[in-house]
Amino acid sequence: MSLKLPEGRTSRALLAAAPWLFFLALILLWELVCQVFSLPEYVLPAPIAIVEAFFNVEFSRWLTHLWATLRVALMGFAVSILVAIPIAIAMMRSELLTRTLYPLLVVIQSTPVVAVAPLIIVLMGSDDPSRVLITCLLTFFPLVVSTATGINETPGELVELSRSLDAPLRRETWQIRIPYAIPHIFSGLRVAITLAIIGAVVAEFVAAEEGLGYFIQFSTSFFRIPQAFAGLFFLAVVSLLLFKSVQWIQQWFFPWSLPRKSGH
Amino acid sequence: MHKGLTRSFLLVALLAGGLISQSVLAADKVTYQLDWLPGGDKSPVYVGVQEGFFEEEGLDVSIASGRGSTDAITKIATGQADIGSADIGALMAAKAQDDSLPVRAVYSIFNQAPHAFFTLEKNGITEMTDMDGKKVATSPFTSSNAFLPLVLKENGMAEDAVSLTKADPGALGPMLMNGGTDAIIAWVTNIALFADQAEATGNELVVLPWSDAGLELYSSSVVASERFLSERPDVAKRFMRAFDKSLKFTGDNPRQAAEALNSMVPEVDVDVATAQIGDTMELVMNDVSERDGLGALTEERVALTWDWVSQAEKLEKDALDPELVIDRTLLEAL
Repeated sequence: MSLKLPEGRTSRALLAAAPWLFFLALILLWELVCQVFSLPEYVLPAPIAIVEAFFNVEFSRWLTHLWATLRVALMGFAVSILVAIPIAIAMMRSELLTRTLYPLLVVIQSTPVVAVAPLIIVLMGSDDPSRVLITCLLTFFPLVVSTATGINETPGELVELSRSLDAPLRRETWQIRIPYAIPHIFSGLRVAITLAIIGAVVAEFVAAEEGLGYFIQFSTSFFRIPQAFAGLFFLAVVSLLLFKSVQWIQQWFFPWSLPRKSGH
Repeated sequence: MHKGLTRSFLLVALLAGGLISQSVLAADKVTYQLDWLPGGDKSPVYVGVQEGFFEEEGLDVSIASGRGSTDAITKIATGQADIGSADIGALMAAKAQDDSLPVRAVYSIFNQAPHAFFTLEKNGITEMTDMDGKKVATSPFTSSNAFLPLVLKENGMAEDAVSLTKADPGALGPMLMNGGTDAIIAWVTNIALFADQAEATGNELVVLPWSDAGLELYSSSVVASERFLSERPDVAKRFMRAFDKSLKFTGDNPRQAAEALNSMVPEVDVDVATAQIGDTMELVMNDVSERDGLGALTEERVALTWDWVSQAEKLEKDALDPELVIDRTLLEAL
């Protein structure tokens, strides 16, 4: 059974608006449920109460908290890129390294960061470096895996051709393997950027004086649930924007790496 | 000649300016570790900063928020902070298990237990014995849970007389108001917050403090690292003097204290914090402080505290000499 889409310009507009309309409908339904059942604010705040709570907090405070979270998330993200891509390249070059590093990477990845975070804070203090490390622990694994996969999926005939022409390993890596890995790297980056925000929030839950995660925790400690929800939505929007930014960067700088649109 | 004079005048001015900034630079840095997020109950240290009490003593105090007493004690023990607030019971329990822990209690903030049952008037619970067979909700990690069986026993009930469920601290209020539970366990420092919630749902809050039900002990205290006490004893004394002053100021001027807190942590609502301070001060300034003095850590009550804590934490009573947890030099220097 397939849902047939109507054709023509209006239908295309409808298609573009559909996610927004759906979102709007959800919000309206939410508001309606809160009004009809007169749910108290601390159980489920109505969207209007959340918007109100958002504007009740001074904008400069939002910026302070936003900057604290963004700073840690982006630093963690950047450090992850700097660590993960070289590791992936090194693992491609050396079987020994793959065998020694990979199990360790898997162990790190399967350890719940939430459980390790307090220990990191005790070891390294409650400043930015430990928060960045907590973020990195979440973000670097998907990057290593996606980069390594991309590098390994380079068509064998291209690698053979470059070797037959005596190209040095450096050129094989940078001119053949890495470009082939770009789509994979970017899918890794998209996963990593949202994880970076989660990492920053986890770190803030353990030790922080500012940040959106801290703000949410703080709001619930005062039973200001609408305010906590406002922080949550702000966080979701930021996360979404970062996700989109990674897509935009790919579109601007590596347009050739995008999957070709099936043309009509 | 004239030029030379101006120049030397300038030089003197520069030197003097340099000296002043030197003295600012020379202010001793102290990091104060809270055991939870900022709130009205934590306001004294903010008062000390805002009212300049620490500055008067030549101190530059920075405040770090914490995530529970053990978190605060760990951070003080590892040198991330010099001094801070934590539950003395948590410190005793930690020290009983590892006597090398380099942290000591130097000043009592709450000389009463903050734990209480919160219920609604319509639930018909008016005294401790009414709790028998009732549904009670509590948060998973609060120190109150360990004392619950003792309080029930103290009031002639079985240790498992109530059926206990655990929920996130933020969910306790809603559960109580919805009728999902007959009572909750919370701290009396939050009476104002829960009373607001109750009022919003047309109910009246009833509080049964465990301190009225026989639980006599010190709880929240100022604790310091042994290193801070031994290496910078003078700084520690000055800190304690300013803190003592701040605590008194907070008791006398709750609203001003709340405003001091608000100016450093703008998310804190002044009205809510003022109410919290009012509730908190019952644990600070009361019969006990009248009798023993503010901040006192008497040998008798310290022993009594360990009595309760060792039972609650199921530790051998001789696992610790509670006096080893205490350092009274700062109190004596006040």
